[in-house]
Amino acid sequence: MDKFALLQFYGLLKREVLEHRNLFIGAPAVVALLILVATIWVATQIDQSQLAEGLRYVSVLFDGLSPFDMAPFFMLLAVPFYLTLYVCSVIYLINTLYQDRKEMSVLFWQSMPVSNLQTVLSKIVAIVVVAPIFYVLIIFAMYLVAMVWLTILGISNDVDLVGIGYMFLAAIASLVLIYISALVTSLWLLPSVGWLLLFSAFAKKTPLLWAGGVFILVGFLEDFIFGTQYLANWVASRTSDPNQYLIFEFQSVFERVFNYDTLFGIVVGAILIAGAVFMRRFTD
Amino acid sequence: MSNIVEAKSLTKNYGSFTALDGVDLTIPRGSISGLIGPNGAGKTTTLKALIGLCDVDGDLSVAGRDPRIARHKLMEDVCFIADVGILPKWLKVSHVIDYVEAVHPRFDRKKAEKSLSTTDIPANKRIKDLSKGMVTQLHLALVMAIEVQLLVLDEPTLGLDIIYRKEFYDRLLNDFYDGNRTIIISTHQVEEIETLLSHLVFINKGKIVLDSLMSDLPDIYTEVLVDTDKVAQADALQPIYVRELLGKKSYTFESVSREQLKILGELHTPSVADLFVAKLKEEKHG
Amino acid sequence: MKDLILRNRYTLLLATLIVYMGVLVAEGMITGREARVIEFENPYFDFNMNEFEGFRDRRNVNEDVRTS
Repeated sequence: MDKFALLQFYGLLKREVLEHRNLFIGAPAVVALLILVATIWVATQIDQSQLAEGLRYVSVLFDGLSPFDMAPFFMLLAVPFYLTLYVCSVIYLINTLYQDRKEMSVLFWQSMPVSNLQTVLSKIVAIVVVAPIFYVLIIFAMYLVAMVWLTILGISNDVDLVGIGYMFLAAIASLVLIYISALVTSLWLLPSVGWLLLFSAFAKKTPLLWAGGVFILVGFLEDFIFGTQYLANWVASRTSDPNQYLIFEFQSVFERVFNYDTLFGIVVGAILIAGAVFMRRFTD
Repeated sequence: MSNIVEAKSLTKNYGSFTALDGVDLTIPRGSISGLIGPNGAGKTTTLKALIGLCDVDGDLSVAGRDPRIARHKLMEDVCFIADVGILPKWLKVSHVIDYVEAVHPRFDRKKAEKSLSTTDIPANKRIKDLSKGMVTQLHLALVMAIEVQLLVLDEPTLGLDIIYRKEFYDRLLNDFYDGNRTIIISTHQVEEIETLLSHLVFINKGKIVLDSLMSDLPDIYTEVLVDTDKVAQADALQPIYVRELLGKKSYTFESVSREQLKILGELHTPSVADLFVAKLKEEKHG
Repeated sequence: MKDLILRNRYTLLLATLIVYMGVLVAEGMITGREARVIEFENPYFDFNMNEFEGFRDRRNVNEDVRTS
């Protein structure tokens, strides 16, 4: 890829972040703020000496342990962010090829030398690759604030802070895990990404209703035409287990990506994404 | 190739509504072409088809490319301004410039900033906070900083006051047009652009009703203020349009030689506006 | 063929969905994925939920009514 094409793609990504800064930055920032406020409020309700005792316990617990081994512990703290990212992704994907047609700015975007493929790819990369970076940065900022607060608490209560340092390292290590987890989950959910984009590009009104309605309709149709339920069964098998969405160990990343189900999902996702790219021709 | 646009029998249906009904169109390179028609005549559909924003049936070539297949490549050579409001409202002025700079290989940022500095547009404001006139100014400034062969303007001055409109066309002529570039302007306000045009196309109900160089108009169309005693004679020459004017009758003829008409009364070339009305009325009657 | 598919947004959507459905059904057949999970024959939507006591009771009552 030549340099201009890279800059061009960067420009497209920047435009996505600017337009959807609420989903990319605003939403996780609010979640982080809520968690911090809630934590500190709870702390003020507890007796100071009990709090110091708890801190001492945590410090001992983490002391000397590898941050990467302890990182999964922090994955649970990231769950609210996961859910936020999940909801924001759905909102983003269903609107991204629809909103600009509704407000007519599509004529401007399409009057630039950017192909439909580039446009759709930039939108996928924006939500799948770029958005989690902002989420991770915000979680990092949250941990940093929490860390400062715990340090002050520790010093004023004479707690040994080495273990807390280890805990912080584990929290940082978990950020890498969270990011990879988000990426792998996106690959796992690529069919849904394609489905939402397809209807975002298709619908003249209420894209979410179209996406949901046709999803159910297609399932019934299969049963009606072939007398089978491969579709429903396939969807159910991909959504029923929460373990499909979180990764607790670095070692499992490879098998998570390079397994039959994920790769087949990528193929199905690619079909739907191709549909969305062609659908982008119809701007009116 | 001397024609930048070559279109043959373009057809477009929206459901049962026929927006384009076999449009043939050739736009010579270096011309300033006016696409004139009433509302709903198919102007916007034609222009959108030219830049690949609307699928049409028929043969179409713009700057040597088929816009339906290679829109993004074509847009390196073609710019488009639609009636105000297509710039995304949530973007800041500086972000729009950043965006165009990033995605357009022929954009000259310095040029755009220079022409923006002559306006009152603040760089840190969002598009939605600008007036209609400013949005159009901004879009024009962006487009004029791009080295393109063809500029397509769809009702560019719709809803603007006279000062902005005049300035818009002045800038277009002085800063953009250099004799090699081609401009296509669609409008239903004929008077405004009459003096700019070198090529004239009328469209009505999805059909081209007139396609002529401005310089050919006097040879084809003649308006005669007919003396009252010669009305019967004038009627016999099959005028395309007759109207009352100052107690006399004004006849418009197509392809009738001036030699023949001289005896009827005072001859002149009809204004584009009068010709427009004449051609549209003719359509209605016959 | 390409012209037909790209004629308008509806034909394109239909084509995409047909490919989607075709690939999934074919894959299901090849891999021997379970073809039926949910049974629709029962008007009361018997989702193979035999372990669900209340549901079974209600169904039995209905069957009693039908057989008598």
